[in-house]
Amino acid sequence: MHFGFTPTQEQLRAEVKAFCEQELTPEAAAEFASGVGPGPAAKEFYRKLGAKGWLTVSWPRKYGGLDGSHTDQLIVSDELEYQGVKSNRVGSSMAGPTILLCGGEETKAEWLPKIAAGGIEFALGYTEPDAGSDLAALDIRAVEDGDDYVINGSKIFNTATHYADYHWLGARTDPNAPKHKGVSLFIVDLTSPGITIKPLWVLSGQRTNVVYYDNVRVPKRNLVGEKNRGFYHIATALDFERMFPCGGIRRDFHRVVATARETTTNGRPQGKDPLVRQAIAEFAAELEVAELLSYQMAWLVDNGTVPTKEASMNKTYVTELEGRLGDLAMHIFGPRFMLREGSKWAQAEGAGAWNYLSSYVSCIYGGTNEIQRNIIATRGLGLPR
Amino acid sequence: MDFGLSPEQDILKTTARDFFAEQAPTTLLREMRNQRPPYPADLWKKMADLGWMAIAIPEKYGGVGGSIHDLMVLVEEMGRAAFPGPLFTSLIGGIAIDILGSEKQKAELLPPIAAGKAVASLAILEPSLSMGADGIALTASHSAGGYSLSGTKLFVSDVEAADYLVVAARTGEGSGEDGISAILVNVKSAGSRLSVTRLDTVPVEDYYEVVFDGVVVGESAVLGQAGQAWNGLNRVAQIAAVAKCVDMVGAGQRMVETAVAHAKERVQFGRPIGSFQAIQHHCANAATAVDSARLIANKAVWMLNEGMECTKIVSMAKSFGADSHRRVTQLTHQVTGGVGLIIEHDLPMFTYRALASELLFGTPAEHRELVAQELGL
Ligand SMILES: Cc1cc2nc3c(=O)[nH]c(=O)nc-3n(C[C@H](O)[C@H](O)[C@H](O)COP(=O)(O)OP(=O)(O)OC[C@H]3O[C@@H](n4cnc5c(N)ncnc54)[C@H](O)[C@@H]3O)c2cc1C
Repeated sequence: MHFGFTPTQEQLRAEVKAFCEQELTPEAAAEFASGVGPGPAAKEFYRKLGAKGWLTVSWPRKYGGLDGSHTDQLIVSDELEYQGVKSNRVGSSMAGPTILLCGGEETKAEWLPKIAAGGIEFALGYTEPDAGSDLAALDIRAVEDGDDYVINGSKIFNTATHYADYHWLGARTDPNAPKHKGVSLFIVDLTSPGITIKPLWVLSGQRTNVVYYDNVRVPKRNLVGEKNRGFYHIATALDFERMFPCGGIRRDFHRVVATARETTTNGRPQGKDPLVRQAIAEFAAELEVAELLSYQMAWLVDNGTVPTKEASMNKTYVTELEGRLGDLAMHIFGPRFMLREGSKWAQAEGAGAWNYLSSYVSCIYGGTNEIQRNIIATRGLGLPR
Repeated sequence: MDFGLSPEQDILKTTARDFFAEQAPTTLLREMRNQRPPYPADLWKKMADLGWMAIAIPEKYGGVGGSIHDLMVLVEEMGRAAFPGPLFTSLIGGIAIDILGSEKQKAELLPPIAAGKAVASLAILEPSLSMGADGIALTASHSAGGYSLSGTKLFVSDVEAADYLVVAARTGEGSGEDGISAILVNVKSAGSRLSVTRLDTVPVEDYYEVVFDGVVVGESAVLGQAGQAWNGLNRVAQIAAVAKCVDMVGAGQRMVETAVAHAKERVQFGRPIGSFQAIQHHCANAATAVDSARLIANKAVWMLNEGMECTKIVSMAKSFGADSHRRVTQLTHQVTGGVGLIIEHDLPMFTYRALASELLFGTPAEHRELVAQELGL
């Protein structure tokens, strides 16, 4: 066993930190912090990350990666999150890895280098009004027509479609097959005629979207992997979505601790209150565990395992931890917890209510925590379905 | 024991529920959040006609003469409707003046409040955020013919809609219960020495910072006896804390109903999600949380109503109620999935509002400390 990082890995983290201090402009930081998604400054920042190879550390060099490990990637993502950068891009963390695993050589050569360079982004196109947890029920239709597929139907909660370049779309290609066996994956240019995108806002201030397809033509070569095997490709990729860097939570925790140290209530620093101390210490241990769950995932992947059970544990644990950070901040800040960043009397740069609210979202998306627990129980523990 | 309402209270409950359902659908409430001031005047007038601002004000001051319990029946329905704005503020402000004021002050101030023509907002909390007497640092120094107020109040509700503030201030020495006065400040005529800043909260309700920089008021602005207001203020704060409990119960009940209805309708994997035990347990846990919070809140209401000493029950109800409500919020969001997170859905309004109900008039931690003290620790 060895629970430390190598000197090279420590250096990598330090480099990422220094890079952010140098390159992360206030404009880009503000775009990352907003719920609207990256704008021009953040996109420019991603291109710089891409030039470093840091979006796709674990990919082969020929596709724009660094031939590094998943652990190295997680170190980079973790530090980026700590610095306020959203590291989980759909292209580099979901679409790309699926292409690497399931795509043909032509698809790889066409898309992977562009994703690695940070110049293009994808949006995840799975969920539909009647296909949430039951992803395989998706019903948007793709019908062959000459050299194209023609796609009709609608999607909901497709975050990023309003700023991404391509839709990573799950669509039904065989309506007569059993539902898991008739889905295919497509890459769709989001500027294609016939696509309409409407905003949808959730309670934590993040934007997501409804997307309508009206006779949208997609070249056949944009089908990824095997026709009608899309559901299985998606399932593989979801295991990657669940590798959760905890950097953002750690940063906000540090802010909360600093606030407890600096704030005096009735002549006593809050950090001297035994209850506050207990709660902070408890959280510190939980955060440590969350980080270990994430790094264990990376280690398992590096050693050739598909960590299904661990991925689900990681997802539930980290997303619920986010909520408990809210509880902790609520305990320490009292009514000031309700204040947003920028308000008079706000504490810890608003690391209160908005984080707490966003944990409601995290516990739902990327596969709800109930579904994760089903996976832990059935696939992980072998309990009957 | 009797866990039920009186026939009159049943009528009030039904009237209020129907009124809010018809007149204040959640679509309207979402619009109201973005309006300054947030109230459509006709809605306010209709509620005044129903006598709601007057509910707990004695008849001789133009009120309906209802009990604290009657007031709470209305408040539970407000919670159920996530009803925002100065009604809650007005109810508590009216009670404050009724408890603290002299005969003469009540005769002058309460009739317009009862008629919905004036609103008084309670200003106790300060930057120390302590709800105890030691938290009151704002000074009112006596000078010829009156007092000069200096200090800061935080999380004062609906100041833009208010005519008066009932300000807890120190007219005496020291930091204890003695020497605290309740002073009425006319917001509209206080002048430039009073500055009011709206706090940027998650979209709950309207809260303000109010800074007093030598605001001068006359002798007659002191409600009741100078230096003797703490007991009365504390009782008002207790009533307000219990009102928040009851509000959370109403809100929680609605959230549970929303989640259960969703679980019955929403189909995934070919069956209603409510047939999955994970979802059934969430619903069962949320319902248990609301039902149990209701019991302890109602016991607190009863004890307040009977005029019993109720520090311990109030604090137990508020801490238990806040924690239960947080659980209800989390569980109902889990059940409703993505759809329940969209701001046009009914749930988020309750979720935002829950924060204020849980944290104002004493946080769970503060109330638990009071319970410990009451237990002789
Ligand atoms: C802010 C946000 C962003 C999102 N971004 C994207 C995106 O970019 N792309 C995309 O494709 N999707 C996205 N999603 C959709 C997300 O993945 C779904 O919301 C999620 O999978 C749950 O589906 P649902 O909302 O339909 O809930 P439902 O599936 O209806 O679930 C409702 C409840 O039932 C439970 N349930 C369902 N089935 C079972 C079962 N078998 N056993 C026990 N419990 C069960 C769920 O756990 C949940 O508690 C996003 C969602 C949100 C809120």
